[in-house]
Amino acid sequence: MTGTTRRPVPAASTLRASRRHPRSSLDRDRNGFGYFLLAPQVIAFTAVGLVALGWVIWLSLNNINVLARSQTFVGLDNYARILQDPNMATVLPNTLFFVVIISVSNTVIGLLLALLMNQKLPGITVFRSLIFVPALVTMVAWTLVWRFIVQPAGGLDALLGLVGIPEIPWLRSGWVTLALFAFIQMTKNVGINMILFLSALQSIPEELSEAARIDGANRWGVFRHVTVPQISAATLMVFMLTVVGSFKIFEIVLLLTNGGPGVQTSVLSFAIYQNAFVLNDVGYASALAVLLFALVLVLSGLIWQLRRRLVFNES
Amino acid sequence: MRAETTRRQRQRRLLVIRRVPMYALLCLVSLAFIGPILWMLSGSLKSTNEILRYPPTIVPEHVQWSNYLLVFVNQPYLLQFLNSVAVMAGVCAITLVLSVPAGYALSKVRPRGGSAIFLLLLSGIFIPPEATIVPLYRMADALGWLDSLTPVIVFTAVLTTAPIATFLMRQAFLVLPTEFQEAATLDGSGRLRTMLQVYLPLTRPSIAAAVVLSCWYSWNQFLEPLVYLRSQEHLTVSVALTRYLDYNGEPTWGIQMAATTLSLLPVLLVFVFAQRHVVAGLTAGGLKS
Repeated sequence: MTGTTRRPVPAASTLRASRRHPRSSLDRDRNGFGYFLLAPQVIAFTAVGLVALGWVIWLSLNNINVLARSQTFVGLDNYARILQDPNMATVLPNTLFFVVIISVSNTVIGLLLALLMNQKLPGITVFRSLIFVPALVTMVAWTLVWRFIVQPAGGLDALLGLVGIPEIPWLRSGWVTLALFAFIQMTKNVGINMILFLSALQSIPEELSEAARIDGANRWGVFRHVTVPQISAATLMVFMLTVVGSFKIFEIVLLLTNGGPGVQTSVLSFAIYQNAFVLNDVGYASALAVLLFALVLVLSGLIWQLRRRLVFNES
Repeated sequence: MRAETTRRQRQRRLLVIRRVPMYALLCLVSLAFIGPILWMLSGSLKSTNEILRYPPTIVPEHVQWSNYLLVFVNQPYLLQFLNSVAVMAGVCAITLVLSVPAGYALSKVRPRGGSAIFLLLLSGIFIPPEATIVPLYRMADALGWLDSLTPVIVFTAVLTTAPIATFLMRQAFLVLPTEFQEAATLDGSGRLRTMLQVYLPLTRPSIAAAVVLSCWYSWNQFLEPLVYLRSQEHLTVSVALTRYLDYNGEPTWGIQMAATTLSLLPVLLVFVFAQRHVVAGLTAGGLKS
């Protein structure tokens, strides 16, 4: 069986034998090699990620005084505080506002932009690149530029002044400020969604829309009955990613308003940072962090479940 | 013959005219995305006096190149830039070392429990950094890593970019035929060598995407360096940009916009020369943005 027979064609008898007894030594060998390759990633991820997760849960059950370096176990007190904290009555609705507004607007506008950019026009790639540019810019840079634009008597006021709209105190105007934040976040990242939608649109077979047209469908009909089902998987992915990303509206809040006035423009991720690193209320910040993690987990789980119902499947 | 050409010309002219509204729309839409960047450029060349004028000028009246000089005078910007580059390089290196073998194992070796491990790693993509920053800060403190680039590099790579890259690399290896493995084994190649010399070179586009997303994510990072780093000479660019302030703590707009412009230049350059890879990397990185 050595040198002479190098071909991997086993004799009939060995085949039958191997079916009866799974090739255990080979399997063990393969498993060993697989674990060897996976080990660095899994060990590192567990050592950092799972330990951090366990730790944040433990911290959330304690009252921590950073200055006195003392720590006392208080059970679920920090979670009870979330329910009673009047600040949270503003912060949590703000957070949900961003999740809803940003995920819906980023998905819808991403799709509209993709449809607009999917036309066969000379020079269309230039426009595609221009819309993609903010995605290349760091969130901090984009936020700083916008802070420059919305400063009192700044660029935005001047632009709106051209059409007769009076100056607006952009950073102290309640829901207008929140809407502005959503717009800043949307323009930053919607280019990525546009690209994801574009590649989905371009992978639709030409024959499908042609067949629909021959069957008498108008443009809306083709869109509704061919395009939408064909890009449903991409839509769901984009939506899920923006939902997860919309919790991360941190730089804008910190750099534009610092959550103020009061906590009027604060969100959960900012409240975690503020409680942990400005107010040194580590236990409470940890409880908020656990809440954030739970929210992201539940929402992405829900959307993943929706997938079964909504995504068009060819089979 | 003549009538034919004029008719064709007229048709072409009609086509162009019909496209004018469409191009107007495209320009208007693009302005929402590119306008802020043009405003930043214009602001970076204005004096403080001109910036505070209302109504503002669009093109700077007196071009102030000195803003760009002051970027380097007010802060050790070059050093901070190099810090950011060091973070990028570190994150890329760790990401590739962890994700290439893991991706190969999950697609071509498939040990028992592989899919459970894959799910575990995928969950890393969904953990928001704000949710783990408190314990990670304490971990960095315990390890003596505070005010150094180490936690910025290690935690980011291990928790975020490596899991996403593993996902990418697994996809890349999956589409390659398994027969190569058998053929390579018959030729006497070891399993490690088969992975590195037969399969790895075929996944070059995905490796490029993984590098781009690691660079982009680490270049973008703000919360982590903000929390871990203290001294000015250890800051990364993204945090340093926010520290161009006058004595009242108000931003020095012109200098800050100049520093921001400088921070965009390398990224835009890379985009121009490697557009395809950048787009692939960012759409994969969009998994956590």
